[in-house]
Amino acid sequence: MGEEKKEKRYKSGLLRSLWPYNFNVERYTYTLHRITGVILILYLMAHVFEIYHVALGPVAWEQTMALLGSLGIWEKIGLWIIAGSALYHGANGFRLILNEVFGMLLGKPVLPEYPYTPTSLSRNQKIAIYLIVLVVEALWIWAGIYLLWGLGII
Amino acid sequence: MPSKYSLLKESWNMILMYALALIMIFVLTFHLLLVSPLTGRTFDQLLNYNYVLQNLTYYRIVFGLLLYAAVIHGLNGLRIVLIEWLHVKRFQWAVNVIIVILMAILLAFGTYTLIVL
Repeated sequence: MGEEKKEKRYKSGLLRSLWPYNFNVERYTYTLHRITGVILILYLMAHVFEIYHVALGPVAWEQTMALLGSLGIWEKIGLWIIAGSALYHGANGFRLILNEVFGMLLGKPVLPEYPYTPTSLSRNQKIAIYLIVLVVEALWIWAGIYLLWGLGII
Repeated sequence: MPSKYSLLKESWNMILMYALALIMIFVLTFHLLLVSPLTGRTFDQLLNYNYVLQNLTYYRIVFGLLLYAAVIHGLNGLRIVLIEWLHVKRFQWAVNVIIVILMAILLAFGTYTLIVL
């Protein structure tokens, strides 16, 4: 890669940083953690205003539910994406707390030597990541089945 | 290096993020269980006004804790994403201000909802 190209890549900002170029598994978890976090905060803002309608009485609540219901299958798809985001963000966040607060799952620190394998990506760390993916996938499929069941599709 | 526009030192900010995340792991799991099929209710029954009202009034303190933890953790997270994206002081100042305003609005609506029920 030429110097000019490298320089351009360093200045390319948020969107480029999300592009999965030369990522290891830890970098994928980091990127997905940020994406799911943004999805969840956008949902939270809408959810607080949705729940506010309970305070306005049953008529306002039913109107809000009717409005959301009019989205049809998109409401359920939206909820499914949010459920997946919450499951992943929570499970991966718990792993990060173990890593960064308690120093667990990390390899021993060593002097950086070529080919610069990150010691944080220890065997236990990889097991934790794959376990999270497995559990989140299973729960996400379960959430999907439940939402489709709510639609009367299954 | 701490910015003069920071509300807290970033190290304290991260401790706050971890503490709120730990609270949310328990409180949010409880909230999700209340709206899960494990309650034996269908999707439409879970959105019934009386069921939602009953949950919000009976578990008012739990939902209050969840509201404050989620709003502060979530908006602070969004702030971190944005200020790491663009290292321009004026932009970072604007992000801090907008996040504080958004936080105040969301907490005001959420607290009002929990108090008047």
